[in-house]
Amino acid sequence: MLSFIIRRLGQSVLVLLVTGLIAFSMFRFVGDPIDNMLGQERTIEDVERLRAQLGLDQPFPVQYYKFLEGAVQGNFGVSYRQGRPVSEILLERAPATLELAAVSGVLAIVFGIALGVFTAIRRNGATAHMIMAASLIGVSLPTFLIGILLIYLFSVELGWLPSFGRGETVDIGGWSTGFLTESGLKALILPSITLGLYQMTLIMRLVRSEMLEVLRQDYIRFARARGLKDRVVNFRHALKNTMVPVVTVIGLQLGAIIAFAIITETVFQWPGVGLLFINAIQFVDVPVMAAYLMLISVMFVGINLMVDILYVFIDPRLRVDRAGGH
Amino acid sequence: MKRIASLCVVSAVLASPALAEEFQWAGQTDPQTMDPHAVSSAPVLGFLNNVYDGLVRMSKDMEIEPSLAESWEPIGEGEGWRFTLRQGVTFHDGAAFDADDVLFSYERASDESSDVRSWFSPVTEVKVVDDFTIEFYTNAPNPLFPASIANWMMMDRGWAEANNATRPDKESGNFATLNVNGTGAFMLEDRQPGLSTTVVPNPNYWDAVEHNITKATFTPIQNPATAVAALLSGDVDFVEPVPIQDAARLEQDPNVNIIRGIETRTIMLGFAHEADTLKYGTSAGDANPFQDVRVREAVAKAINVDAILQTIWRGSAEAASQLVTPALSSYSEVHAERPAFDPEGAKALLAEAGYVDGFGFGLKCPNDRYPNDEAVCQAITAMLAQVGIQVEIDAMPVSNYWPELRADNFDMYLLGWSPGGSLDHEHPLRFLASTPNEEKKLGSWNFGGYSNARLDEALPSILAEIDPAKRQALIDEVVGIYQSEHAYVPLYTQPLVWGMRSNIDLTQRPDNFFILRWVTVN
Repeated sequence: MLSFIIRRLGQSVLVLLVTGLIAFSMFRFVGDPIDNMLGQERTIEDVERLRAQLGLDQPFPVQYYKFLEGAVQGNFGVSYRQGRPVSEILLERAPATLELAAVSGVLAIVFGIALGVFTAIRRNGATAHMIMAASLIGVSLPTFLIGILLIYLFSVELGWLPSFGRGETVDIGGWSTGFLTESGLKALILPSITLGLYQMTLIMRLVRSEMLEVLRQDYIRFARARGLKDRVVNFRHALKNTMVPVVTVIGLQLGAIIAFAIITETVFQWPGVGLLFINAIQFVDVPVMAAYLMLISVMFVGINLMVDILYVFIDPRLRVDRAGGH
Repeated sequence: MKRIASLCVVSAVLASPALAEEFQWAGQTDPQTMDPHAVSSAPVLGFLNNVYDGLVRMSKDMEIEPSLAESWEPIGEGEGWRFTLRQGVTFHDGAAFDADDVLFSYERASDESSDVRSWFSPVTEVKVVDDFTIEFYTNAPNPLFPASIANWMMMDRGWAEANNATRPDKESGNFATLNVNGTGAFMLEDRQPGLSTTVVPNPNYWDAVEHNITKATFTPIQNPATAVAALLSGDVDFVEPVPIQDAARLEQDPNVNIIRGIETRTIMLGFAHEADTLKYGTSAGDANPFQDVRVREAVAKAINVDAILQTIWRGSAEAASQLVTPALSSYSEVHAERPAFDPEGAKALLAEAGYVDGFGFGLKCPNDRYPNDEAVCQAITAMLAQVGIQVEIDAMPVSNYWPELRADNFDMYLLGWSPGGSLDHEHPLRFLASTPNEEKKLGSWNFGGYSNARLDEALPSILAEIDPAKRQALIDEVVGIYQSEHAYVPLYTQPLVWGMRSNIDLTQRPDNFFILRWVTVN
C-alpha cells in the first residue's frame, strides 16, 4: 500500500512538472503583457524598461526555472494586472469557487444517485421515462446557455433570484462564506444548478445503467428468493455494488466541477478563481494564469490519487487479495 | 438587496425631503488600480474622476472648466501657464489642499514610474509662487496644456509620504493601489479588486452637489448577456456598454432607458507605407501596391461605409472623414467630406495604377479590441473583392495583435484611435500621422510608417500656436494633406450605448467616462 502511494506520488510530481512546462511555453502565444500594462502614450523605452523589470527579456528556460523556484516556496509572483501577490488573490477568490463547487457537487451526487436508482427500479414507469428524456437536456445543452436561460427565467421574468454575483458574504477567519446570509444562499442557487446539472445527469445515467446491470445478477435473484424486502435488496445489495465505478466518476467529476466552473463563473459573474483566470487570459496576466493552471493540475492529480486509494477501501476484493498475501 | 434599498428610501424620506438612494452600476472592465498616476486607461481614469479632482476638468459638453484651479492664464508670451488654486479645499482625510500638493502630484505623475508622464513632456519647470499659485513653464508656447491635464489628479503629499506611496508602483503595487485620498465628490469606502468597489459622498466636497446618491457600488460584469439581464432584473441601475444588438430590444422595456451617443474613438484602416513588398495573400512577395496613392484611394472608394453602418452597426455609428470626430473642437470643417462609395471609380484607379486584374494581400484585424472589429473586416473583404482585390483576413486577440503590428507583420490593418489627454486633433497627428521618431516621441503608433515632410514641419507650429484661428488653419492644411494622400482610410466613429433603469437621470460624455456627480435617482 505504502509503496503504491509513493509510486503514485512520484508519477504525480512528474505530471505536474510537465503540465507546468506545457502551460508556461504556451503563454508566449497568448500575447504580450506589456501592451496591456502601458497606456497608448507609452514610448519604446517604457516598454523595454518594464520588460526588463518583469524579467520577460530573459530566455524561456530561465523564466520557467524562476517560476518553479518561487512556486515550490508557495510564491507565484505578483499579478501584472492587480499589482498584488498572486497567492493572496487566489486565497481571496478560492472560497467562492470551492463553495460553489461543493454545493454543485452535493446537488449532483444526491440527485444523481437518487434519480439513477429511481429510474433503474421503475425503469418502465412514465416518470422514469420523463426523467431520462429531461436528462438529455442536461447532457447536451452547453453550460452558458443553461445559465443564461435560468437567469432570464428566475431573475428577469420572475425576479426571484439575483442575476449575478455572490450576494452578501460573511468573513470567518479569512474565508468569505455566502452560506450565512439570505442573499448569499439565494445567489448560490442558479450557479450551482448550472454547474452541477451536467454532472448530475452523468451520475444519474451511470447509476441507472450500473444498477440495471447489477439487478440482473444471480445474487439479487437469490436475495429476492430469500424473501428479503425490496428496499433491502435494492439499497443494501444492489446499490452498494454499483458504487465502485460511480465513485471513480464522481471523483474525477469533482475536479471537473472546479475546473469547468470557469464558464459558470463567467455567466454569473461569480467572483471565483475561474473568473479570475478568464480575466487573466484577456490581460495576459502570466503569473495568475500559471498559478491557476498549476493549482488545477495539483487538484486533478490529488483527486486521482485519492480515488485510487478509495478503491481499495470500497472494493473488498482488493483488500482480500492483499491480506491473503499471495 | 432590494429590501435594504427600499428601507433606505423610507428612512431617507423620513429624514429629509430630498430622495436619496443607493446606486449600483456595472461596466465591462474593473479599474485595475486606484492610483491615478499608475495606469493611463479609460476605465481607471474614468472611475478615479469620481474620487480625485484635477486642476481643471471636463464639463458635460467636453469643455474644460475650473476644478481645483479657480482660474489660469498664460505667462508672458506663452512661456507657460499660471494656475490660481481654490482655497479651503480638503482631502478626504481632512488635510488641506495647497500648491505643495500640486507640486508633489507633478513630481509623482511625471516620474519615470508613472504611466501619465507624457502629459508633462512639454513642461520644463514648475514653480510654487505662494500657497495658492503655481506656475508651469513649457519648452514652447503650449495653448493646449490646461486641457491636456484634465485627467491629472491631485494627491496629498503628507498622505502619500506617510503611506510610502510617493511614486506609483505598477509592478507590485503600493498603498495607493488600493486606497484613495482625493478631494473628489466621492470617497472610497470599500475596494475589492475585480469584485466590487463602493464609494460614498464626500461630506466636505467643495463644489455644489447635484446628485442624490447615498452610496454607489461598481461591479465589473464581463459577460454582456449577464449585464443586460442584471439591468432588466433591476439588480443594477446602470450598465455600460449595452451590446448594439440588445439596444433595440431594451428600448421596448418600460423600465429601462437607452441613451446613445458618439464616442471619441475613430476606426480606420492603415497601410504598410514603407514596405517594399506585400507579405501576405496571393500576391505575397510582389511590389507593394499601397505605396501608390491611387491604390489607397481605390480602397477608400471601394468600401461602402454606409452599408457597414446599416448592417453591422444597425444605424448607430457615424461615418468618419478624419482621424478625430466632429464632436471635438479641432475637427476640420472644410474637410468634412469622405470619399464616396464608387466601385467603378475604384476599378478605374486600380487600372490606372496598373492593377487591372487586382491583387491579393493580407488584412490584420483584432477580434476582441473594438466592438464588431472582425465583422467589419469581413465586410471590407467582401467589398474589396468586388473591385478585384482579394483579401486574406488574419484576425486575432488584441494581446497578439499589437506585437504583430509592431513587428510590421501586415499589409493593411484595422486601428481605432481615441485622442486621450488633450482630446485634440494634435493627438492623432502626433501618434499616427507623424513620421516615426523615437527620440522626439513622435509617430509611435504609426505602424505603417506614413511620412509627409510638410505635415512633420507643421506639427510643432500646431502645438505652439496660441491664436485659435491660425491654429485651425494649420490643422485644416494638415488634414488636407493626410486626406489627399489617403494615409489612412477613416471608416466610422463608434457609438456609445448606455442602459439604465428608467428612474435614473445621468449624463453621457463622449469620452465614455461615467461621472457619478451627475446621477439622480428618482
